[in-house]
Amino acid sequence: MNAPLIRVDGVSKFYPRVHRAGERMRAFMALLAGREPQDGAEVLHDVSFEIRPGESFGIIGENGAGKSTLLKILTGVISPSRGSVEVNARIAALLELGAGFQPEFSGLDNVRMKASLLGMSPRRLERKLDDILAFADIGDYIHEPVKHYSSGMVVRLGFAVVTASDPELLITDEVLAVGDESFQKKCIRWIEAFLERGNTLLMVSHSMYQVQKLCRRALWLQDGRAQLQGDVFEVTQSYLAWHESRGAQEKRQRATARGESGLYRIESMDVAPRSGDEVRLASGEDLGLELVLHSPDGRAPVALVGIVRADGTPVYGVASDQDGARPERVDEHHYRFRVRFRAPPLLPGLYSLRGHAMDPEGLRLFDTAEQRFLVRGESRELGMVRLEHEWTDEGPGDAESSR
Amino acid sequence: MKRLAHPIFWQLVSRSIRKDYLENLTGFAWLILQPLMLLSVYAFVFSTIFKARVPDSLDVGFVAYLAVAFWPWTAFSEAVLKAGGTVRANAALIGKVAFPSELLPLSMVVATFLMNMAGYAAVLVVLSLTGTDIHWLGVVAMLPVLVLLAVLAGAIGLVMSALQVFVRDVAQILPPLMTFWFFTTPILYSPTYLPDRLAEVIAWNPMAWFVGFVRAAALQGELHPGLAGIAIAVSALLLFWLGLRFFRRLSGHFEDFL
Repeated sequence: MNAPLIRVDGVSKFYPRVHRAGERMRAFMALLAGREPQDGAEVLHDVSFEIRPGESFGIIGENGAGKSTLLKILTGVISPSRGSVEVNARIAALLELGAGFQPEFSGLDNVRMKASLLGMSPRRLERKLDDILAFADIGDYIHEPVKHYSSGMVVRLGFAVVTASDPELLITDEVLAVGDESFQKKCIRWIEAFLERGNTLLMVSHSMYQVQKLCRRALWLQDGRAQLQGDVFEVTQSYLAWHESRGAQEKRQRATARGESGLYRIESMDVAPRSGDEVRLASGEDLGLELVLHSPDGRAPVALVGIVRADGTPVYGVASDQDGARPERVDEHHYRFRVRFRAPPLLPGLYSLRGHAMDPEGLRLFDTAEQRFLVRGESRELGMVRLEHEWTDEGPGDAESSR
Repeated sequence: MKRLAHPIFWQLVSRSIRKDYLENLTGFAWLILQPLMLLSVYAFVFSTIFKARVPDSLDVGFVAYLAVAFWPWTAFSEAVLKAGGTVRANAALIGKVAFPSELLPLSMVVATFLMNMAGYAAVLVVLSLTGTDIHWLGVVAMLPVLVLLAVLAGAIGLVMSALQVFVRDVAQILPPLMTFWFFTTPILYSPTYLPDRLAEVIAWNPMAWFVGFVRAAALQGELHPGLAGIAIAVSALLLFWLGLRFFRRLSGHFEDFL
């Protein structure tokens, strides 16, 4: 087994407190004495992993989870407070678009600068210059100052130089999100070829699609700690699942907060026909809904009801004030709405019935409840609803007169 | 030392030269015009108002006497001041790209010296054409001494640029300190006219040795570095090594403080 290209062992990073002059002085003295600052805001805690040559490794996590700090440590921009980092490769990092670009200087000058930052000798750069310009593909703009560039052009130029520097390990941080579709594809093609040549990739991305496409292993950082690492699908799926559950939790919290602050909300929603926990609808059967809304000020709220397909595509929606429907008053703060969809012409499949609470003006939406239901049956028709139709002998223009 | 040979070094040098001068409207001319204007102000004030005199043993005008010492000092002082600000000025670069950041102050020192030496050469030619007896062999011989001066500027620049990250006040303190150093160096006056006790103190100023050496070399063709010269050479190199160690100890943490 070959030796790891990167070995990160128990790395922690504190950002020392340096807001006041006294704190700066103390931290400075500690550094002079050769001590690492051991307190302050901890952004990474005991992170360890290894990357072997030829691997592709993704780092995912929320904003502020410590991803960028970790990359800065790997590239040597900052040093870890604890732990050790070992890098045995020629690294090229695309950390931020245009890092090291001087806005006043021309694109060409900046290419020279960036290339030398990546350790390319002037002679080597001259050999590669045509390739760089061809990859960046920004035409005569190369002679303009970089401050006149669009952000996409800056990334093109930056990436072009990196491709020419012939790295063994490429580190990218979300840069592929910039740039147009065709350039993104070009970059991804280049990265794939780069990996095929046996090189190594370390990427940070919020795009699970990109991570899954380009990486084989992944690390999920959460609040500076390694939450999970391993196979890319396992890690990305856990990450997404965690996001969903947190989203639902937040929603519940919002709903409670709403109740406490006294806004319009859904007290209860009941859907028929019900069989146990499930709602199943046979073809030709009516779909019934009872919605009780809470009104903090005693005025009658507006109810909005709608049907969506399981993937969220809306089928139909209507508000009680559009139909001029008046709710039944249960007590001072509660109003009951009853709706019946007579034999809805839905094709078999999974749908959701949604009820929403709105203010009496029907302008603002405050709360949402959802009930999934299944339309049973078998049909080879396409789409969501069955439209009334007949097969006839008449031409299309005669349709009106035949009625 | 391998880190100092990084390809970025000459990029940085050429970048600072172009940024400061070549993209100005008048460009390169300021390289000579600015110190020339300063020189005429000092020459007027000191030769006409204060009646400063050149030592009797020397057969040169006051302007020539002043100019020969003035350019090396300007190079030194400008190099220290500019290098001192480089780390903070390049905070964005340091935070994003890993490269030996000591090259920032050092490239600035080299760029400043190169530019000022171009002006120095021009001034020496002008002086020679207007009748001052310039000893060209001495001028060539002073080159290693000017390199030594740049090494000293580099040592101070390294320390100051790293220090400025942690102690911001350095940016405010450094210019008046350099002005003080300028007046305590025998540039506008000859050390021979100083009261004995003051002359003894000022003899400890390493810049006094540099100024004395370039004057003797360019105006009289005399080269005697002496024991002081060797001591200064050794200490400049030692200071540079210490400055580099100081800088490297701190440079891994710049990003946390910038």
